[in-house]
Amino acid sequence: MSTDTASNTSPTRKRENSAPAAENAATPSLAHRVSDSTRFPCGLVRREFVWQMGAGFAGLALSSLLGESGFFTRHASAGETASGQKNPLAPRPSHFATKAKACIFLIMNGGPSQVDTFDYKPALDKFAGKPLPPDKKYINSGGRKVGFLTPPPRKFKPGGKSGLLISDFFPNVREHADKLAVVRSCHTDSHAHGSALVAMNTGSTFIGRPSMGSWCVYGLGAENQNLPGYVVLMDKRGGPIGGQPNWSSGFMPAAFQGTLFRPAGDPILDLRGPVHVDAKVQRNRLDLLAKLNEEHLKERPGGEELVARIQSYELAYRMQSEAPEAVDLAREDQKTLDAYGVGKAPTDEFGKNCLIARRLVERGVRFVQLYSGGGHLEDTWDAHKGIESNHGQHAGEVDQPIAALLTDLAKRGLLDSTLILWGGEFGRMPFSEGVNEPGRNHNPYGFSMWLAGGGVKGGTWHGETDDFGFEAVVNKAHVHDIHATVLHLMGLDHKRLTYFHQGRDERLTDVYGNVIKEVLA
Amino acid sequence: MLSYATISPMTQFSILLGSLALIATCAPAIAAEPDFTKTIGPILTKRCLGCHNASEAKGELVLLSREGLLKGGEGGVVIDAARPEESVLLKRVAAGEMPPEENGKSQALPKEEVEQIRAWILSGAKWPEGIVLNPFEVTTSTRAGLDWWSLQPIQRPNVPPAQVQGANPASENQVDSFIQESLRQKNLESAPPASHGTLLRRAYYDLIGLPPTFEEVQEFASDKFPDAYERQVDRLLASPHFGERWGRYWLDLVRYADTNGYERDAPKPGAWKYRDYVIGAINRDKPYDRFVVEQLAGDELADRTEETVIATGLLRIGTWDDEPNDALEYKYERLEDLVHVTGSAFLGLTVKCARCHDHKFDPIPQTDYYRLASAFWAGFIEARGRELMGGPSKEELGFDVLGWTDRADIPPLMLLKKGDPHRPLEEVKPATLSFVSSLVSPIASVPGNKTSQRRLAIGNWLTSPQHPLTARVAVNRLWQHHFGQALVRSPNNFGFKGELPTHPELLDYLASELKDGGWEMKRLHRKLVCSATFRQASVHPRDMEFRERDVANTLWWKANRRRLDAEALRDTILSASGQLSRQAGGPGFFPHLNSDALEGLSTKDKAWQSSPADQQARRSIYIFSKRSLLLPLLTTFDFCDTTQPCGQRDVNVVAPQALALLNNEFTHRASEKLADQMLRDRNLSPWHLILGREPSRDERFEMIAFVVEQTNLFASNPATKKDAERFALASLCHVLLNTNELIYVD
Repeated sequence: MSTDTASNTSPTRKRENSAPAAENAATPSLAHRVSDSTRFPCGLVRREFVWQMGAGFAGLALSSLLGESGFFTRHASAGETASGQKNPLAPRPSHFATKAKACIFLIMNGGPSQVDTFDYKPALDKFAGKPLPPDKKYINSGGRKVGFLTPPPRKFKPGGKSGLLISDFFPNVREHADKLAVVRSCHTDSHAHGSALVAMNTGSTFIGRPSMGSWCVYGLGAENQNLPGYVVLMDKRGGPIGGQPNWSSGFMPAAFQGTLFRPAGDPILDLRGPVHVDAKVQRNRLDLLAKLNEEHLKERPGGEELVARIQSYELAYRMQSEAPEAVDLAREDQKTLDAYGVGKAPTDEFGKNCLIARRLVERGVRFVQLYSGGGHLEDTWDAHKGIESNHGQHAGEVDQPIAALLTDLAKRGLLDSTLILWGGEFGRMPFSEGVNEPGRNHNPYGFSMWLAGGGVKGGTWHGETDDFGFEAVVNKAHVHDIHATVLHLMGLDHKRLTYFHQGRDERLTDVYGNVIKEVLA
Repeated sequence: MLSYATISPMTQFSILLGSLALIATCAPAIAAEPDFTKTIGPILTKRCLGCHNASEAKGELVLLSREGLLKGGEGGVVIDAARPEESVLLKRVAAGEMPPEENGKSQALPKEEVEQIRAWILSGAKWPEGIVLNPFEVTTSTRAGLDWWSLQPIQRPNVPPAQVQGANPASENQVDSFIQESLRQKNLESAPPASHGTLLRRAYYDLIGLPPTFEEVQEFASDKFPDAYERQVDRLLASPHFGERWGRYWLDLVRYADTNGYERDAPKPGAWKYRDYVIGAINRDKPYDRFVVEQLAGDELADRTEETVIATGLLRIGTWDDEPNDALEYKYERLEDLVHVTGSAFLGLTVKCARCHDHKFDPIPQTDYYRLASAFWAGFIEARGRELMGGPSKEELGFDVLGWTDRADIPPLMLLKKGDPHRPLEEVKPATLSFVSSLVSPIASVPGNKTSQRRLAIGNWLTSPQHPLTARVAVNRLWQHHFGQALVRSPNNFGFKGELPTHPELLDYLASELKDGGWEMKRLHRKLVCSATFRQASVHPRDMEFRERDVANTLWWKANRRRLDAEALRDTILSASGQLSRQAGGPGFFPHLNSDALEGLSTKDKAWQSSPADQQARRSIYIFSKRSLLLPLLTTFDFCDTTQPCGQRDVNVVAPQALALLNNEFTHRASEKLADQMLRDRNLSPWHLILGREPSRDERFEMIAFVVEQTNLFASNPATKKDAERFALASLCHVLLNTNELIYVD
């Protein structure tokens, strides 16, 4: 350390070069601060401190290192660094031209009943009180009581020009009948919530495989690097049974896993530090960090991973402002909030989530999954006690918000580029759980899901269950077929979208799956 | 390079194509009769036997023998003797329908091959008497045969003459001789030796997963004895933290977790004892062959103890569904898990791929899968009471631990057509895998033994000195974790779809050393870490130039810079801030999680009760690993998937990692702890504590200016005014904890 250096750089000059964040009228001048104080950080005596201060440091603002000034264009292009280290989330072209750019999966956790919602079965009125014919074989999930064929508690009515039959559990969604393609012949591989839900999300009843959102982000990347590409919004009552494996990226890099978004406050974990670390403090910290990292980099030429990590801090910084903005519903007008049912029971929570989903899709998020129902039993669509009580509650929570989402997306011209998928992990039995026990047990053999939006032929239905709505019999659609269809609508060929793992080219649909052409526009 | 009995598959392929092309060009306009053994046999083997083999028999057509060809398939004969041009085989091949497209890509035969088939069929489709094609015999362009490199005997190679230049002329480390030889061939040279500080930091992270203190670095720098470094290495190898570092790699490999996964995700009582067994075995340098046998068959050993039975926890720590959808199917899923963990961890082969059909790429017939599976079939694979968690009771096991043993009555295990439990074929006799014929032996049941001894036989087969894979796979992992990339860069797959070794002779040298040195690992660790190759710098004066010749540094002309993994990062922050608890072993602890992180759980906070404060600062390997809720701080930094064997973790750089280190209270708490220390003792330097070095002059200035600015900022906020200096110092520490210098090891 030479005194020459000290005398060459005046404190004034130092001030001129320091970060904009430090330029603050409320901040006393450094000289003032130093002469004022009797305590010096790091145990320096005053003379030494002042002397070192005099030597000064040209506090480079991060903005001059990064961003517009071309720091990264010097070091790396947006998606790839010089050595070919790829940003796993860089946008990638789809396999073929397609309308849908984003997908919103409205998952009705617990298993909504098909015969009470989207699959009208007059035979249930006719044979009410009779047992299911004995030739119908099934696994009695949980060994529950087996009751009698029971008609739906609410009426079915035709909706739209198509006359699609939808029950009074979904009067608002029914207004959009001409936008929906209902697949009434879905079936899956498990009667248990945990494994069936994992199957609905990953294609396999065994945990450990990537979820559909991960496959979409793996295939297409993310449009907006300041937000996660794959967002999952939980129900406040709790996560789904089985937890993480439902939005896991399995054997793919963790960058493709779903990010849990909370509907209020900070949407993602670690978006904000403790309150005393305000914006100025943090900006000032990031500026020092960038400077130290830049010096570190200078001695390590060609360190692409080091550059990438410097860049990740700028991304994180932008995420900190962009993610709360994406969930900030104060930016929506009252009319919109009312349409979604925000601010009133029972639609407030799911209404907010639907509105957030729209805002995320608008901002380029690739895949958004919304859970209706969380935790266990009646907190979910798991209507063992009674359809009217359970579905009355849960459909009451989601019907208006889903309808509002469809309206809102259409109004903004986003419905064409957004695919909506609705359904649970399985359906429910056409029979009750006993006399005066109007609940229904799990049913993996036949249930309904619907699609709407980008590339979907609205006002249609596909496949049939038997007369009782017990099992899919015509044009059966396995979960793999639903997955193949969703990928297809997103512009991805489920047979070509492969990930090499443990000696095998893995697919979302394993070696199965057929695109359901009948629901394509 | 050509010490193996086979040439690389690409070379073989080109030879094959070459001969085909030759024949095609020489063929006159009227096709001559092709030589079956030279042309038609290889085409059938390469193009058709993948499906038309005995195990799969697609379309019920088996093309292994003349009889199969003449018999035809479900659609009738495939060769039409009367009108050969109309033969189904020819028509479908010529139309490009066979082989069928894969993943949307056409697999149609090249024109020359179609013409060969045509000429063969037109000339009477002659199949010489007695010739039966063996789909596994030779390596082709599409699959590995029995001549595949990794299945050949391990041969101790001659060590190239030592010609170490520059770095450390005194070195006689054979590792360097091999590396130097390959560098010389490519006209590359090693980087200069790393500086003292860099080297010590690298060795610490490498061997114990923790950073050296500033004082330790100083002491090492001033130690002028020639063996200063070797003494450090010996000390670190003897540290109890060594097993904590290297045990974690093993836990990744054997899909370790403390819970079952699935709906209830119940804790596995005593799973941690298996974790402690692994750490202890590595610390005590348990010979690797014994380590393998204990984990597979610790209950079957004549000298069985509680410890060897705990080792069989390997077979219990995987996922377990207490409410499987289909109990019959689930038994076979469990079998696959156990075959897969054995295949991945010990063999480096994807044996599980042969569950439904012969392996598509490696010489593993479907029968082999069931032969290996029969070892686990003998255990409690059937679902019983939920409380038993898919294993033996403590009475059946003889110890109250999470272990494995056989049942008294073992039903026969049948080969399953297409892996379908509802389509059993013939019974499979327990045996070892068949890829080295001289090592194959059936496993006979020995009357009087409490167990079937099948797993013991598999363990003995794996650890036989003649086994081509076990030692290679093990030393490859050693190299991988010391250097950042393995010699075979697909550590769990030594088969056709895996990578070829970058240094086959070095691999065999190390494998020979392991076997001949009583399977002791620490000797080899020491050899690798003391090599000049390990000790070189991660920057090279001719970096840009060399990069063009070997961008992935496969020849090791410099050290790889490595990001700390999730555990080392967390442990470092604890250690730098003086919080680290070195309490070893015992039940896992539950780190503090805020309620936000618990939202993904169906049971929310009921399933996660933070452990007492004194547990919170333990090393990350002791974190309770709950399959439905892995610690976000760890998963953000690429913690492994716990459901399947993981041979190598991803290393991603993504924004959520920056968010975690910037904002997670874990880092803030550490920063404030550091600030408190510095306030108590004003001689402490954050550079010493966090980065283990002196700050440069510029850094010193920056530090001062920054702390002043931060003090001002905090002083101007009424809420922080009182502690402005403390917060400012914490800010500085927080920045240092976020630096690239901290998270990357040169």
